[in-house]
Amino acid sequence: MSTRSSRVALVDLLPLLLLLVCLPLRAAELTVSAATSLSSAFRELAPMFEAQSAGTRVLFNFAASDALLAQIARGAPVDVFASADEETMDRAEKQKLLVPGSRRTLASNTLVLILPNDSAPGLNTLADLQQPRIKRVALGTPSIAPAGRYARSALEAANVWPGVKPKAIYAQNVRQVLDYVARGEVDAGFVYATDAAIMKDKVRIGFSVPTATRITYPVSAIAVSRNVAEARRFVDFLLSPAAQAVLARHGFGKP
Amino acid sequence: MDASVWITLGLTLKVAAWATGINLILGTAIGWLLANRRFPGRELLDAILTLPFVLPPTVLGYYLLVVIGRNGWLGRWLNDTFGITLIFTWQGAVIAASLVAFPLVLKSARAAFEGVDPQLEKAARVLGLSEWAVFFRVTLPMAWPGILAGTLLVFARSLGEFGATLMVAGSIPGKTQTLSIAVYEAVQAGQDSIANMLVVITSVTCIVVLLLAGRLAPFRPTR
Amino acid sequence: MSFDVDIMKTVGDARRRFQLQVKFTMQARRTVIYGPSGAGKSLTLQALAGLLQPDSGRISFADQVLYDSAQGTWVPARRRAFGYLFQDYALFPHLNVRQNIAFGLAPGLRNPSIAVAGEAVEHWLQALDLGEVAAQRPAELSGGQRQRTALARALVNSPRALLLDEPFSALDPELRTRTRTELDLLLARVGIPMLMITHDPEDLEWFGEQALYLRDGRISERRAAD
Repeated sequence: MSTRSSRVALVDLLPLLLLLVCLPLRAAELTVSAATSLSSAFRELAPMFEAQSAGTRVLFNFAASDALLAQIARGAPVDVFASADEETMDRAEKQKLLVPGSRRTLASNTLVLILPNDSAPGLNTLADLQQPRIKRVALGTPSIAPAGRYARSALEAANVWPGVKPKAIYAQNVRQVLDYVARGEVDAGFVYATDAAIMKDKVRIGFSVPTATRITYPVSAIAVSRNVAEARRFVDFLLSPAAQAVLARHGFGKP
Repeated sequence: MDASVWITLGLTLKVAAWATGINLILGTAIGWLLANRRFPGRELLDAILTLPFVLPPTVLGYYLLVVIGRNGWLGRWLNDTFGITLIFTWQGAVIAASLVAFPLVLKSARAAFEGVDPQLEKAARVLGLSEWAVFFRVTLPMAWPGILAGTLLVFARSLGEFGATLMVAGSIPGKTQTLSIAVYEAVQAGQDSIANMLVVITSVTCIVVLLLAGRLAPFRPTR
Repeated sequence: MSFDVDIMKTVGDARRRFQLQVKFTMQARRTVIYGPSGAGKSLTLQALAGLLQPDSGRISFADQVLYDSAQGTWVPARRRAFGYLFQDYALFPHLNVRQNIAFGLAPGLRNPSIAVAGEAVEHWLQALDLGEVAAQRPAELSGGQRQRTALARALVNSPRALLLDEPFSALDPELRTRTRTELDLLLARVGIPMLMITHDPEDLEWFGEQALYLRDGRISERRAAD
């Protein structure tokens, strides 16, 4: 007699239990910190991932890579980190912030020199930046943006950094560089090829800038993530053919 | 200790000093005008001039960028007429800091002037003083404590100005990278030791300024 | 004959209007304008001093036209050379007694120094028994001392006439008699015409060689039944 009543009680409780178990899954959120240059592509990728992941919402945090690392190092609740250079991700790895074995290379990019659309021709090499008519050159602040570091390294390698340094204007991230060039506040700027494509009507690419190392974007799940499985799934998704096609469409190169 | 820290401090003090000086004169003059002259649209003017205090600094920074940038109407005119560029210069940082902090001294000055007993000014007139003499010998001394309080706030605000400056300064070390921007970038770059040093220097500077200001505060009349 | 006055002034807003219409000639050396509060006494005195511009009319003193709306004449307060005593004295709180007294003597944009001296300043410090408090600020003075300082300040400039706004109302009754006596002697010594406005009938008794009654903005030479 007592066994039957307890079974009935369990059956009554089942829907409630199921509900309780399902609730956290339904409210799953994934926080992705990504380099600014990835913002347009990632915004397009988010709905694609959400569609195939049963209710996970993707939240983005775009900034210069070093700034993102600083936040993660201080315990920001981030699940996935995508940076614009290997060096920043190496630092993250050294500080044991990554889920071991989850690091992948997501895409590649090229550094370009862009000019306002209405600027005069005649700027074809880094050395040309030393011309007197070029008064201001924008780049990301090297201490916080990989693009800025790439630019400075390239200028140093070409032996023109001393001539360009007095003209340098430092931006918080590549998008601010892009904005300055688009407004004509500066005569030239260093951004990624993918950034230049965004404002095709206001800026034009002067030339590609050779960099000592290939510009690649590493991505990894973060150790403090509360949903490591989902984070890894997102990383895998980024490497899927569908996602790679989107990245390619935005101008990124193969990883 | 890196020498560049002192350069940054020097630049920040220079920008703050200029912004304070400009605002002191403009704020006192316009504050006096608003307190003593009735004209149509007076309160509207007061509201417009107070706007920079209410608007988020980044919004102000954007307006500034659009106005004093190379292609902005003011920026282009200045460049064509005088060859002056404001954006990405310390003068541009001064303008950003001045704009943001102006309402602080305006409000204080207007209230201070409104608090001056008009009988005192009348007494001075009857005793033979010209209007300028009345202003410098009676009105201003009476209003000065209030104006000074506002000026201190302006200095503090200019010292810490960040949002608007970030948009128009270009963060050039030694030229436009003020202490606030330097701290921000150091934190973002994970350079905690530099950030700490900058923060300590800024705090000490502010304390010194406050102490100096306390010394300078003139006689407060008891009524 | 000193003041010859015929002015009109309307003050106030839509809710409350007050019209001052004052016409009189000052014939005695000591004249009192007597009237209740709100009668317009202060307005009249300020108009005479040049601190208030009437809407229309004419004011002259001795042979000089100070104000004439028809001719567009207006002599500002600073050039009228009158001494004015405010009801609460209007002493400069940021200056000491010496500096207050010497205030009108110093031209230009700077106040007299803290230890300002000079014949005129010393004379009035002694004459009004202010020597001991010369270095003190108005906040540290008694009511009587403040009044004397204000008087000294007004007289040090050798004014052509003395205009007094309720000079005793801020003093204790005991002090008033003493101060009236002092003022009486002072006026006798200085010898300039004096115009006083007051609502105190005692002042009328003491100083009203000529009495003008001001009520609701109008003057009459006859005292109304109170």
